[in-house]
Amino acid sequence: MARAGGPAMGMTRQYLAGELSVLLGHLQAATTTEASGRDAWSLRQAAESEPVTALGSVTIRALALTERLCWDSLNRGDIAAFNRQAAVCAELHDFGVFAGLLKDG
Amino acid sequence: MADSHEAQDPEAQVSEAQIAVHWREEEYYPPPPSFVAQANANDPAIFNRFAEDKFPGCFKEYADLLDWDAPWHTTLDISNPPFWKWFVGGRLNASYNCVDRHAAANPDKTAIIFVPELESDEHVAISYSQLHEQVNEFAALLRDSLGLQAGDRVTLHMPMVPELPVTMLACARLGVIHSQVFGGFSGAACGHRIADSGSRFLITMDGYYRGGQLTDHKIKADEAVAAARQEGQEVEKVLIWRRRPGQYASQAPMIQGRDMFVDELIARHQGQAVEPVSMPAEAPLFLMYTSGTTGRPKGCQHSTGGYLAYVTGTSRYYQDIHPDDVYWCMADIGWITGHSYIVYGPLALGTTTVVYEGVPNYPDGGRPWRIAEKLGVNIFHTSPTAIRMLRKVGPEEPKKYNYHFKHMTTVGEPIEPEVWRWYHSEVGKGEAAIVDTWWQTENGGFLGSTLPALQPMKPGSCGPGVLGVYPVIYDEDGNEVPKGSGKAGNICIRNPWPGIFQTIWGQPERFVDTYYRKYNRNPDSADWRDWPYFAGDGAVQAADGYFRILGRVDDVINVAGHRLGTKEIESAALTVPEVAEAAAVPVIDDIRGRVVEMYVALKPGFQPSTEMEGKVSKAIETEIGKIARPKNVWIVLDMPKTRSGKIMRRVIASISNFADVGDVTTLANPEIVEDIRHHVQTAKVAKDDVPRQLTEAEFEEIKKFGSE
Repeated sequence: MARAGGPAMGMTRQYLAGELSVLLGHLQAATTTEASGRDAWSLRQAAESEPVTALGSVTIRALALTERLCWDSLNRGDIAAFNRQAAVCAELHDFGVFAGLLKDG
Repeated sequence: MADSHEAQDPEAQVSEAQIAVHWREEEYYPPPPSFVAQANANDPAIFNRFAEDKFPGCFKEYADLLDWDAPWHTTLDISNPPFWKWFVGGRLNASYNCVDRHAAANPDKTAIIFVPELESDEHVAISYSQLHEQVNEFAALLRDSLGLQAGDRVTLHMPMVPELPVTMLACARLGVIHSQVFGGFSGAACGHRIADSGSRFLITMDGYYRGGQLTDHKIKADEAVAAARQEGQEVEKVLIWRRRPGQYASQAPMIQGRDMFVDELIARHQGQAVEPVSMPAEAPLFLMYTSGTTGRPKGCQHSTGGYLAYVTGTSRYYQDIHPDDVYWCMADIGWITGHSYIVYGPLALGTTTVVYEGVPNYPDGGRPWRIAEKLGVNIFHTSPTAIRMLRKVGPEEPKKYNYHFKHMTTVGEPIEPEVWRWYHSEVGKGEAAIVDTWWQTENGGFLGSTLPALQPMKPGSCGPGVLGVYPVIYDEDGNEVPKGSGKAGNICIRNPWPGIFQTIWGQPERFVDTYYRKYNRNPDSADWRDWPYFAGDGAVQAADGYFRILGRVDDVINVAGHRLGTKEIESAALTVPEVAEAAAVPVIDDIRGRVVEMYVALKPGFQPSTEMEGKVSKAIETEIGKIARPKNVWIVLDMPKTRSGKIMRRVIASISNFADVGDVTTLANPEIVEDIRHHVQTAKVAKDDVPRQLTEAEFEEIKKFGSE
């Protein structure tokens, strides 16, 4: 399970909200149902409007959503959707680690 | 799939203060002699010129780097604290200072080099005379076709293209206040900022390249206009730059009468000159929005004279920019770093600034170094996040390319010493002076940094306060934390400086409450010494005066001396698969000071149970440590929320503390408050768990909890 980064990574970090918003836009584009699209949209709104201290939490929730989407696509045998979603998941994870929003393990 | 991360030993979690004590002191790195010899600031006499007894007159040295239409009569007006006014009586134009004076003196000098993301597209060099022409024509369009004039606000939602600085400088030429929203943000986020600033015009682009793909950007303009309308702000016109003039890169239809292509309109203004409007020094130059809000965006209003003087001075001394340098800051102009250290500071100094369209690792991790080699970049500026990424994707890449940086910057977040060392030895090839800068959107320019030729570098520390800026660390009670004590506290700035933002657009009370109330000694005082600026970051100061920045201090619950970040606790609760939303709040406790109470809402289909409460509690204990274990976990049907969806933590904190919840009528779901209150307080009464009557200070703390 992903974990949010520690308190030593702070300061303004507005640009992290921006980059996360871009990636959540990619996630939204990779959703296959209206409900999951809404979930991705609300995560993007959170990244754009909540304090930067919330970005770790948003990233974790986004990863959980991508995992759910990936399983759904696998269950349906939709390989193209799975590939798109897995790529977004990798982007989100790498960004979260580089930005100190997630603790790598 | 979500990756698996090892859980750390919960007992290994320590408070910020303990982290500071346990950090080892890093060794110093002296700047290379070749750098010192050519540096703009290499005479230690500069420290005397900016000594505290020379404040505020010392900043004349920065202002003198600009051309003024009229001199100022008062360096710092403190008559209405903390709304400081700098260089009062002075008049100038930012566009003139960044363009005209260099176009006149050195017209063929390159002002901007645009590097498209696709490597197959050649870079574009724009000279100062070409920039002058483009800025004038676009200013003419804004003035004559849209009727814009000084004081109007215009929202920009543009990617990293040279048309963005052209647009900003055209606005500045007219005294129009620009408000650039990061191009990657959604249309809705842009719309909220349009509404808050009262912009009637939106300037955008049809598309741009990112990650090798042409992104449809104009579609966001339609969303932005709709979002602004929902908040009561009509956008009259949308101006659309085309990424490739004559070709439309978007699938979104043009709206008749509202949407216009810039490349078609500007033909009417070809060759037109616009006299720069002479603006008062304290006239707003731009708004820059930040998150960390209670729903309404926070538009930081920056001034013309003070801001421009500050970014020009710090660019000269801390970025060591000379006119013949090729300077590349890899930030996005949509953030304050881009405004200050891609556009205004470098151009005011007449240097060459690089604007790169895309992501740094496209198509591979060697891209930044190929750009540096090809363009002869000798000053480089980026964030620790980008450094970590480039180190991961291409640790050996820098040495493959023949570039040489004399100076490098890291900005935006603390950098770990081991990452700093890679940046120094691999990216900088051991040849560059590095400044690790600390500052924020609100500050205009650097607040903490080493002066690169005169103060040695120390990995992980930003250095002391910059010239003319005097930081201090206060504890929660306003006592100064001495340097070398190893104790962390809240970093504040004791004095005003020219780059400080003027106010939050349309919210002056919030400006005072957020940044000055905490350590104000006397609200009636007109002495700036009574109004320290509260930055909101935690820090520790070493015996040598260097600061190490720890992170944001807001939204912290202090349990028995351990400062616990609420977001960390909430993230831990969200690791329970059934939990949809979580909010951590403090409850007054006579023994431990504060204890944590947790509110969670479950996903549809799951029912509240004591087992579920236990799972949440256990997750927090596992992820963070026993110290963070909540006293109570309350499972609620829904959280009280603003209309923008933000959880109102102050409301549930008040319920947990049996305090007045205040006005809840503006919430999206005010009816939920009474349900939660009844549920929680009935249970607490039954358990004999009612906190004592709060003191006035405690009541204020609870009332403000989570408000930023």
